[in-house]
Amino acid sequence: MIEERDELVDRAARALSAMSPVKAGAVARVLMAVRASKVRPQPAWKRSVRWLEDASVSARAAGMLVAASLVVGFVLRGTVDVAGYSTQALSETPVALQTISDAGAESRGVPVAMVFELANAKSVAVVGDFNGWDPAATPMQRVGEDGPWSATLLAKPGRHTYAFLVDGSTLVADPLAAKATSPDFGGDASVMMVRTP
Amino acid sequence: MTLATRTNGFARSMIRRAALAVAAIATLSAASVQLGAQEARLLAIQDDATRSMVRDFIEAARARGTPTEPLVSRALEGVAFRATAKRIEQAMVALEERIGRSRELLAPRATVDELAAAADALANGVPASAIRDLRKIAPYRQITVEIGVLTELVAKGVAPKKAAVMVRDLMARGATGTQLTELNAAVQQDVAFGVTPVAALELRGRGVMSLLSPSASVNAAIRP
Amino acid sequence: MGSLRGKLSHTLGVRREYVSEFDPTLPVRAKHGDEQAFIGIVEFYYPRCLRFARNMIGSEQDAEEAVQDTFVRVHDSFSRFDEDSRFDPWLFRILANRCRTLMARNRRRQSLIEYGEIPISASAEPEVGADWAEEVQVVLNSLPMEQREAFLLRHVEDLSYEDIAAMTGVGLSALRMRVKRACDTLRARLD
Repeated sequence: MIEERDELVDRAARALSAMSPVKAGAVARVLMAVRASKVRPQPAWKRSVRWLEDASVSARAAGMLVAASLVVGFVLRGTVDVAGYSTQALSETPVALQTISDAGAESRGVPVAMVFELANAKSVAVVGDFNGWDPAATPMQRVGEDGPWSATLLAKPGRHTYAFLVDGSTLVADPLAAKATSPDFGGDASVMMVRTP
Repeated sequence: MTLATRTNGFARSMIRRAALAVAAIATLSAASVQLGAQEARLLAIQDDATRSMVRDFIEAARARGTPTEPLVSRALEGVAFRATAKRIEQAMVALEERIGRSRELLAPRATVDELAAAADALANGVPASAIRDLRKIAPYRQITVEIGVLTELVAKGVAPKKAAVMVRDLMARGATGTQLTELNAAVQQDVAFGVTPVAALELRGRGVMSLLSPSASVNAAIRP
Repeated sequence: MGSLRGKLSHTLGVRREYVSEFDPTLPVRAKHGDEQAFIGIVEFYYPRCLRFARNMIGSEQDAEEAVQDTFVRVHDSFSRFDEDSRFDPWLFRILANRCRTLMARNRRRQSLIEYGEIPISASAEPEVGADWAEEVQVVLNSLPMEQREAFLLRHVEDLSYEDIAAMTGVGLSALRMRVKRACDTLRARLD
């Protein structure tokens, strides 16, 4: 059977090929849902009251919370977080209370979606404590032809200073995040708090 | 089609081998992986003399038993800030000293993340005794978040002693890292609206305190 | 900012039009537990999956749910992913299944809450002067689900008939017929 793809069908296919808008933080939400699905019942002695509280937060409800946090344009999977910051987090998947002995689970890091808009940049990378300030670790991708830059990274719970490395040489603080001054180098950076899962 | 979906079997086999090689690397010993990864990251330092200095320092620190990951990170941070080699070296020296101090304060055991967090806390003016108190309250779990909150409060202008007492007391009464993070967020917001840092901390701290058990004793919690 | 003169602001929504090249080692690495590789897969495929789901289901919110469920299942099923096979058809098989499940759920709901109403997709003709893409979408929605799915996989997602046959378990000739009928309908309604 010969497939009858002509000019009109081509046009229709092209119209349907337009990419859907992807909300900032979508990838982080997916990762949150993935981790939520991974949670298995823990022995009672490993549970904490908080575990039980968090367990009531469904992945979907948590996703809505992330969406709500987008008012500052910057998302982090975890718990609802840091109102004064541009980083926002949302309730983590229910996991057992972390202890030093099972720090391995915590060491995976919490997915953080980052969005940064800067026209005229040729490249942008996120550098910070979470990736050892390695300029090659977290390159951001241009979203659309002239859209913002976006990346998802894994950050361990705690306080992290970071900045955006533009065109491989210029460090730019996150314009909407709380400021941090490097004690050793004196430069301007930003700070975000990542919660314990 | 952006992905080469028409890849033939041979190419797929090669891809699979390449991927398995990557996966195999991941299964090598943690130490050798860390060494290789650190070396690769040092290549981001373009100036040969600086890179050589940093590499020598890292190797010496490793021989001294200092966790090297925070040092590599600090060196690359310095490069990002376009610091001179001398400045980067000074920063690494200072960080190693603070990590050593943190190791004492967080005894008997601490993760590398905790050491790095405590070292940053010290650099931002958090009192050493405060870090020791936090460890006493929570000897068996990571306190990276708690140390981070304390650091951030101090970094944003809360008097170090007041911040330390508040975080310590809240932890002793069972406040979670999440509650402390929320406290910090609320304080930062209040400060942004013009409230003094200390007043904001007192106000928000009392709010969190009211949610916690009044029976827990701070003195009991931090007794050696 | 020195020499940087760009506009500096954050945005609430993101429109991802282009994605950079896919690293073909990602699926195997993700299968072996590399979470950063899994993130790479999601980053790359999310827009495409969302496009397919939206075209299939017609609802943005349901499409997002289908895509999220798909990646959860991908993650949970990686142990069954054959490393010698390509990733696209495997991913789209899971996605297509999720879309079918969601559409079935929606049909049940619709029959409960919209009794008596005429489903828009059953009778709507493209409005005169409506945006071309909207017209196409309206006609697409009016197609039987099997034709819509086959058309999208073949002509929008650019999968081969062999891949689609392997994914769906439908014979090649039947698939070609579905696509042909979809094309015929599009041609008749859009011309």
